[in-house]
Amino acid sequence: MNMKERILHFVHSFGWPRIIIGLFLLLLFIAAPIVGVKVSTSLSDTLIRFGMNSVMVLAMVPMIHSGCGLNFGLPVGIIAGLLGGTLSLQLNFTGGLSFFMAIVLATPFAVLFGWAYGVLLNKVKGGEMMIATYVGFSIVSFMCMMWLLLPYSNPTMVWGYTGSGLRTTISTEGYYYHVLNDFLQIKIGSHLVIPTGMILFFALLAFLMWAFLHTKTGTAMTAVGSNPVFARASGINVDRTRILSVIMSTWLGAVGILVYQQSFGFIQLYMGPFYMAMPAVSAILIGGASVNKASITNVIVGTFLFQGIVTMTPSVMNSAIHTDMSEVIRIIVSNGMILYALTRKSEATR
Amino acid sequence: MDKVHISRKIWIRLAVIVAILLVAVLMFLIGKQHTILLDNKTLEFGGETYKAFSIVEVQVDKEDQLELAARDRDKAVVTGQRHSITVLYMDANYEEIEKTWKFSVPLGEDMLLLSVPALVGGAEPAIWLTHYEPPVAAAAPVSEEVVVTEDAALLGDF
Amino acid sequence: MSPLKETNWQKVLHFLENNTVPVLFLVICAIGIPLSGYSASYLAQEVVVRISRNAFLIIALLIPIMAGMGLNFGMTLGAMAGQIGLILISDWGIVGIPGMVLAMIISTPISMLLGWGCGKLLNMAKGREMVTSYIIAFFMNGVYQLVVLYIMGTKFLPIRSSSLVLPRGYGIRNTVNLIGIRKSLDNLLAVKVFGISLPLATFAVIALLCIFVVWFRRTKLGQDMLAVGQDMEVARDAGIRVEHTRIVSIVISTVLAGYGMVIYLSNIGTLNTYNSHSQIGMFSVAALLVGGASVSKANIGNVFLGVTLFHLMFIVSPMAGKNLIGQAQLGEYFRVFVSYGVITMSLVLYEVRKRREKSRVGRELAAGQTAEEA
Repeated sequence: MNMKERILHFVHSFGWPRIIIGLFLLLLFIAAPIVGVKVSTSLSDTLIRFGMNSVMVLAMVPMIHSGCGLNFGLPVGIIAGLLGGTLSLQLNFTGGLSFFMAIVLATPFAVLFGWAYGVLLNKVKGGEMMIATYVGFSIVSFMCMMWLLLPYSNPTMVWGYTGSGLRTTISTEGYYYHVLNDFLQIKIGSHLVIPTGMILFFALLAFLMWAFLHTKTGTAMTAVGSNPVFARASGINVDRTRILSVIMSTWLGAVGILVYQQSFGFIQLYMGPFYMAMPAVSAILIGGASVNKASITNVIVGTFLFQGIVTMTPSVMNSAIHTDMSEVIRIIVSNGMILYALTRKSEATR
Repeated sequence: MDKVHISRKIWIRLAVIVAILLVAVLMFLIGKQHTILLDNKTLEFGGETYKAFSIVEVQVDKEDQLELAARDRDKAVVTGQRHSITVLYMDANYEEIEKTWKFSVPLGEDMLLLSVPALVGGAEPAIWLTHYEPPVAAAAPVSEEVVVTEDAALLGDF
Repeated sequence: MSPLKETNWQKVLHFLENNTVPVLFLVICAIGIPLSGYSASYLAQEVVVRISRNAFLIIALLIPIMAGMGLNFGMTLGAMAGQIGLILISDWGIVGIPGMVLAMIISTPISMLLGWGCGKLLNMAKGREMVTSYIIAFFMNGVYQLVVLYIMGTKFLPIRSSSLVLPRGYGIRNTVNLIGIRKSLDNLLAVKVFGISLPLATFAVIALLCIFVVWFRRTKLGQDMLAVGQDMEVARDAGIRVEHTRIVSIVISTVLAGYGMVIYLSNIGTLNTYNSHSQIGMFSVAALLVGGASVSKANIGNVFLGVTLFHLMFIVSPMAGKNLIGQAQLGEYFRVFVSYGVITMSLVLYEVRKRREKSRVGRELAAGQTAEEA
């Protein structure tokens, strides 16, 4: 293979949208010092956002592996996480314990919701993605009513004047605010901060996921995704495996939102989780995943690229042309990426 | 045969497009809104003086009749370019006179100033119908409007 | 005939199953109306207004369903085109019916272009048209924002009117006042019957569209679309240009959605530049499904039943929530939940039915084979 062929092969296998996005991010990092944006600040912002979002992106992996497609129903997991987080606050756990308890309390919800969601998705094989989207929307809007009605009473969480109904945003200050961010945090100079704890936490989950995919159940899951007929023939219970993958995705979504909140500082209720699936879906696609193939590398690369763009565009654009077009760029990039993945010929028929 | 058929198809399509464009132009012409400011103020132009009426009644097309005292100004909002104006006034002999003029408005003008005394006084149209630029209020700089692009996700009405 | 005959009980079940959503909605409305305490004439007037406002938009969804492409969430693209037309006529100061017609004419080429692109992409994503059209709507929303927020008002697309342009000098404001065309179609020929004012001119336009849809079904193109919707491969063997037919169905739907948006916004009277279009797809789809349509089958009756039931629920729920729990907010969330719930349920029912149909056909084939062998 000569050089040209090699490059062409690389472009073909990697996909031109990813190359454009990669080059765009590179351009942003080159342009940053020229327009007076500190690269170290940008880099640590990117790292923090990477840590915040990576677990939710990881949540895409099991469902893609089992052939359930992109998990547009991530809000199902997020709701489980919100229930865990709010319950942990309600029971007045503080500090690191509150984070741990939030995960523990979210788990039964995640398992229950994930199981129901998985059973539903088994009934609609082939149309999972559209239905997943609407299952997500439905549960978010259903929980909007619940947040108003559930008997929470911790004064930091409920509306002051009525004493009932949860607030739209609840501060995690004094509870699990920055418990992962500040764990083993490394500061280089005055601007570069590495949130070691958060990245380690992600690394742990990513390692567990990697290990799982190499167990017998894990390979069975991949088999179900790549060839369900063959999988059934070799004695794998397809429906059970798919449900397991959905439960795993849902649980990771729950943990993902808790990680996000501990760094962000707020629990966002009501319509907050509505569109949260989109960034996670497009991140894993940017990382090189497709509708039916995803790896841990895709998660890491994709989250870094996506969050890099999200962090860098506003600051660089603002300094360079005094207009913040980042929102528009984010919409076009993320949805363009999803569109690209959905319309790839080779994946049109599964 | 086939070739003829295709070219006829293209001709029909072209004709339809042209027709639609013509309709668009027509809509532009008849739907264009103009604001006509009716002014009853003494106007001096080219040595001539058109004295304001102490009281005068003005009606543009079929709009409401407007009563203007001296130095009054009111407005009529009209669509299209060709209009008529009816003025009811008293002449020097205290006789009531009602008179109607036809006039047309240039397409590009959003707002025009029509001087009633000059109109009645028989001046050239260029004198009694002039372009009007609304004064730009020298107010404090407007605070920037925050653009909300966030999707309200069905919370609105429909 | 089918070897598996239905019993009466199965027939009732079958009817309920086919009409789950409308029946459910009837129940919700039956509970909600007395709770809200609204008078019958108020509700009737509201429903009339909303039929005249929304029916056109919802009818725009029918044609892609004919072609088997499911619910066209990409109708948002047409809505964007309509809005661009409206922004331009507001800037030029064209008012009344001519303004509406001009806005529609401006929207047409934009809708056609967007619809063509959308159709092309959907042809690349056969079998998952809906989720793709849904994402296309999001993607184009970004492009729309780029145009309206950053290009309009600059020298590339000049907008003169300072009431439209943001104080910073370019980009369109959050709301555009459509006072010039507000209700101009509705008031053209309004008749009062029993104290309820009926916008006859708007109804006439909607009726014309209904006639068009009915006529369209019988044309060669309409028949082709139905064939493509039934089975793409069979249609292709019959010499129908499948891809082309599918694109045309999306183009027609997009163009109609653009017109519908002009009618819709002229009734409302204000354009929320960055929100109006994004909601409209979702609402129209929900209303159509409430009327008993499914992803693969919808007719004009579904449209009107859907608008009526959906909007009754929509009007009634905040007040019902307030009277029941003391919080109007709860009713608002309830109606959001119901809207999404309805779409979810219809999609699930459709997929389940599709699979059942497949296995039934399989069983029939097997039964036929054994009969032949015997």
